[in-house]
Amino acid sequence: MNLLAYQPTWWTLNPQDNGRYGVLVGVFLAGMVLFFALSKVPHSARRPIVVGVTFLSGLFWVLRYLWPEPIALRDNELPTGMVEKTGQWLQTSVPFVSGIAQVVTSFLLGLGMFSLLRVHFTKITRKQRDWQYSVLLLVCMGAMIVVGYGDWLQREFWLKEKITDDTTTWTNVNVAFNVMFDGLLQNMDAAMFSIIAFYIFSAAYRAFRIRSMEATLLMSSALIVMLSLMGAVTSFWNTGIDSMTQMDPANLLNNLKLNTLAGWLRNVVQVPALQALEFGVGLGTLAMALRLWLGLERGGVTE
Amino acid sequence: MQYLDSGKLGILVTLLIVAFILFNIARAKNRTDLFIRRIPGLNALDDAIGRATEMGRPVLMVPGIGTLDAISVQAVTIFSNVARTAAQFSTPIRICCADAAVYTVAQEVIRDVYQQEGVPERMDAQTVQFVSDRQFAFAAGVQGMILREKVAATFLLGAFYAESLIFAESANSIGAIQVAGSTQNTQTPFFIAACDYVLIGDEFYAASAYITRQPVLVGSLLGQDWGKMLIIGSIFCGMVLNSVERNQMVTMTRQESTVEVRGGQEAVAEMVPYEGEPRKKNATETTIYRLFHPMYNESMYQIERQPKPDETPEPAPAEGGEVTL
Repeated sequence: MNLLAYQPTWWTLNPQDNGRYGVLVGVFLAGMVLFFALSKVPHSARRPIVVGVTFLSGLFWVLRYLWPEPIALRDNELPTGMVEKTGQWLQTSVPFVSGIAQVVTSFLLGLGMFSLLRVHFTKITRKQRDWQYSVLLLVCMGAMIVVGYGDWLQREFWLKEKITDDTTTWTNVNVAFNVMFDGLLQNMDAAMFSIIAFYIFSAAYRAFRIRSMEATLLMSSALIVMLSLMGAVTSFWNTGIDSMTQMDPANLLNNLKLNTLAGWLRNVVQVPALQALEFGVGLGTLAMALRLWLGLERGGVTE
Repeated sequence: MQYLDSGKLGILVTLLIVAFILFNIARAKNRTDLFIRRIPGLNALDDAIGRATEMGRPVLMVPGIGTLDAISVQAVTIFSNVARTAAQFSTPIRICCADAAVYTVAQEVIRDVYQQEGVPERMDAQTVQFVSDRQFAFAAGVQGMILREKVAATFLLGAFYAESLIFAESANSIGAIQVAGSTQNTQTPFFIAACDYVLIGDEFYAASAYITRQPVLVGSLLGQDWGKMLIIGSIFCGMVLNSVERNQMVTMTRQESTVEVRGGQEAVAEMVPYEGEPRKKNATETTIYRLFHPMYNESMYQIERQPKPDETPEPAPAEGGEVTL
């Protein structure tokens, strides 16, 4: 029997049962107790726990990567032999194991919110500089939580059939959520994103100032690539090259066409350099993951 | 991952690199003469903290906006070394997190560092803080902190995306000394343009070994270098082999199709004699291609399996009645 694999539970078969909410609250409280108990573990015992849990979690994903999956196994077939059965067990266990990570992350989000509240309540109570912004942040956060949950409850439970995409069916809560999320938050996100354009301009100005050999090369190659994207300039330049070569495709001067030069810079200079960096990063990630998995890392997160 | 689909070469190379790393970790435990080249960005860590100490301003550290993975763990590990030095000089630090899991880990690590240095009281609520898990809300929060607190030094290490330049340019505008490094190649040019020191590519992963010189970390770094040698050698051999083969005349060509296997479609391929106009081999007819794209025939799918018994579950008795929400 696959103990880890996701199976249709009694809950999923009986979604209307009220008792599940009680069990959910119980599981939540049990999780909180577990978290509290783990935070009280003596310092000397923490490392074995962290290393042990990390090793077991990592072992699952290592096996998932290395163990062969059953070939052409259909839904209505049973796997044969130990290799196939283990492969299928690993495959079907992925949603359960990923679910554990999601549950842990949900608990941690609560800790994140606690941090936010602590920082800003401290600022307000001590009347530190710009404490008014902290008040605004907490008010906005509270309003978004209340309105967001209200909107969700109405759409999913209370008025599930009545609320549609048609705005005339919306309640005040739905409208308020729409104004706060789509009207304010999304637009403020877009505003922050658009600021990058100005920062790119100022950063590029500094980077392209010709002060060294490297900066000159950077400036030249950037100029070629930018000009190659301007249709009128490319057309004018390439027509000039064509007139010099008499449209002879074997003429070496064809290599000086702007789009050819830009393509060469991108495909022969840029792509290999980026791929080399990615190889290095990949190896570094592998080594780091290996050290963490096997508990070889001392200091930092495993202490 | 399916052996049949992807071939075994990738796994073999991965296992070989893993063996290199483990072998060198074991080897490094008995050696003290292993050399790491100078990395200016990491040499600047102490200078940056010293500057912050002299100016009496905080040091800002951001471990990127990624989730808790090898990248953010590495960033937090580097920050723990920075925090240790900062704690010794009573320099305030600010670590801003965009992921709740990273925040929790960073908080524990930094708390341990302060306790080990005997100054746990210097860690307050602002030392490690969760700002927001929305990308631009986080960017706005950190940018505000940079400008309000006029941080003396910033360490931007981890997974950054569009917000990288917002942080780097804001810190640049107030004259902060900046050390940055991202595993995202798309952001590295922005850091190079706006920061004083940049850790490029795998220098980010070399940081812990460089700072602490722990044998395990230095050995791991050496294993990575062996892995690079293997990759360089593979690229060279592949280039030569492919160049030679692509100039040979084709005699066999690859024919790909699908066959029906127990109600589903599966891909098969085979090499068949080439009977067309004489021509040189194309990319799919080379040995390198075959190494990464192995061929399967119909017989490989002929596996006898028993049918699954009907598992339709019995509906449970409805005891709870209708939900009243």
